[in-house]
Amino acid sequence: MTGIEVLELTKEYGNFRAVDHLTFTVRPGQVTGFLGPNGAGKSTTLRLVLGLSRPTSGSALIGGKAYTTLKEPMRQVGALLDAQSAHSSRIARDHLLALAVSNRIEARRVDEVLETVGLSHAAKRRVGAYSLGMRQRLGIAAALLGDPEVLILDEPSNGLDPEGIVWIRDLMRRLAREGRTVLVSSHLMNETASFADHLVVLDRGRLLADATMQDFIHAQVTPSVRVRSSDDALLLSVLAEHGHEPVPDDSGRWIVDNARLEDVGPITAAAGVPILELSSQEATLEAAYFALIANEDGRAADRTPVAAAGGVR
Amino acid sequence: MTALSPALRSEWVKIRSLRGTASALIAVFALTLVISVLVFATIGRSEADSPDYDPVFMAFYALNFAQVAAIYFGTAAFSSEYRNGALQVSLAAVPNRDRFYLAKMTSIGVPVLVVGLVTSFTAFLTSQAFMGEYAIGLGEPGALRACVGAGIYLALMALFAAGLTAVLRSGLIALSIIIPFMLVVSFVVGDLSAGIAEYLPDRAGQQVLRQHATGSLGPWGGLAVTAAWAAAAQLAGWWCVRRRDA
Repeated sequence: MTGIEVLELTKEYGNFRAVDHLTFTVRPGQVTGFLGPNGAGKSTTLRLVLGLSRPTSGSALIGGKAYTTLKEPMRQVGALLDAQSAHSSRIARDHLLALAVSNRIEARRVDEVLETVGLSHAAKRRVGAYSLGMRQRLGIAAALLGDPEVLILDEPSNGLDPEGIVWIRDLMRRLAREGRTVLVSSHLMNETASFADHLVVLDRGRLLADATMQDFIHAQVTPSVRVRSSDDALLLSVLAEHGHEPVPDDSGRWIVDNARLEDVGPITAAAGVPILELSSQEATLEAAYFALIANEDGRAADRTPVAAAGGVR
Repeated sequence: MTALSPALRSEWVKIRSLRGTASALIAVFALTLVISVLVFATIGRSEADSPDYDPVFMAFYALNFAQVAAIYFGTAAFSSEYRNGALQVSLAAVPNRDRFYLAKMTSIGVPVLVVGLVTSFTAFLTSQAFMGEYAIGLGEPGALRACVGAGIYLALMALFAAGLTAVLRSGLIALSIIIPFMLVVSFVVGDLSAGIAEYLPDRAGQQVLRQHATGSLGPWGGLAVTAAWAAAAQLAGWWCVRRRDA
């Protein structure tokens, strides 16, 4: 069981605090989505975890050890950072071979991972001649070389075509099912919603949320139900009796806020309301995310005068 | 050494898989051979009559060109890590930066030393084949020392350039400092082989190529000065690689 533990991690560049006392844990067996707007500090955090940058304070451990102390790190952690991170005049196979031998990984694995990511046909082509999507696949191949327990992927679907996006989603889900730890950063909500079980949300270097996908959405967005009946009068009176305040939408349906299907279904059935349609208004990750960010911005605005008065920082 | 060898093998794969670095290494040998043949087949014997003729130093005439290839190799092998963010991937694979740096520099120094030694003996023997009555052998005083020294000199210049590249994070900037220095500064102040000019990395090291060293350093003393330059550049590069965020 190898997880990632980030503890009070802080990184400052001059006066700018890119990562601000960040603490979270990434568990094995699930895909953890690492969300935040551009510049939130996601990539910086991943680079700190991988020992590429030095933290100002705090620590990041993988399976209880700092990444830089791992002897053959690719066998434990596979990382995809920036799709550009391969010398453009080297052929793909040599790029992977140089990485493999540095961690005493058999050369046979190079051909295996090229096969896995669908680049066998282009193994002898120069990386410079690769499309963005192919480079992304090459980066993923590098991450998979050491058959690692932990995968850290920064924006893996960047540049992939629709087919590639489905492929990477299935790959990440399969890796998690195999019991591996998968941390995936993204700024695309619908994309993340399609593969993540757990979410870590970042804004301006600080942790905003660390929750399962479902808890996160429910905590941010109130559930609502959409209902249509052939007897509006009866429907409204029954709902009013139970304290609901439905509002009409523009297509003859009623929206009941703060209610779930389990609340509305039984009471309308018991009262004999003829129901034509009853469905839950799916709260999206996107809606939840924006609700959270908006909330946070409000709080940040409230906080500013206090911080100034207190002379903090 | 066992801990280093996977990183070393990796660095060697990187060097031979890039056209620029692989061909620079070949160029050290090929340039020397071609230029030696051209020069000695044409003007070799006439040079032998000039008053300050040093038969050993003359034999390494082509080394002036070979060293540019060696320096280019040193910069290109290291600067390839700064292309397309390659260093991130390299350090993710070998996160111990001391090990990474040592492997990288070994993979630069050792091949140049080997190719340099082969090149220097080849240059010497090739050039003498054209010299007729003026030909000297490896038994000539200073000749063997110059052949061995030339190989070491090339390796030191490559390491000097590689260290500087690590500091500057750019092969282009490193080259645009070293090459003008060698071609212009060293050349202009060249014949004043006393004072500060004597301690320039290329000037000092080339004393080992002479039968009769000029100036005060002597053949091995001169090479030691070049070694000190290389060591300083290497240490500065090491410090930068250890300390900087990748």
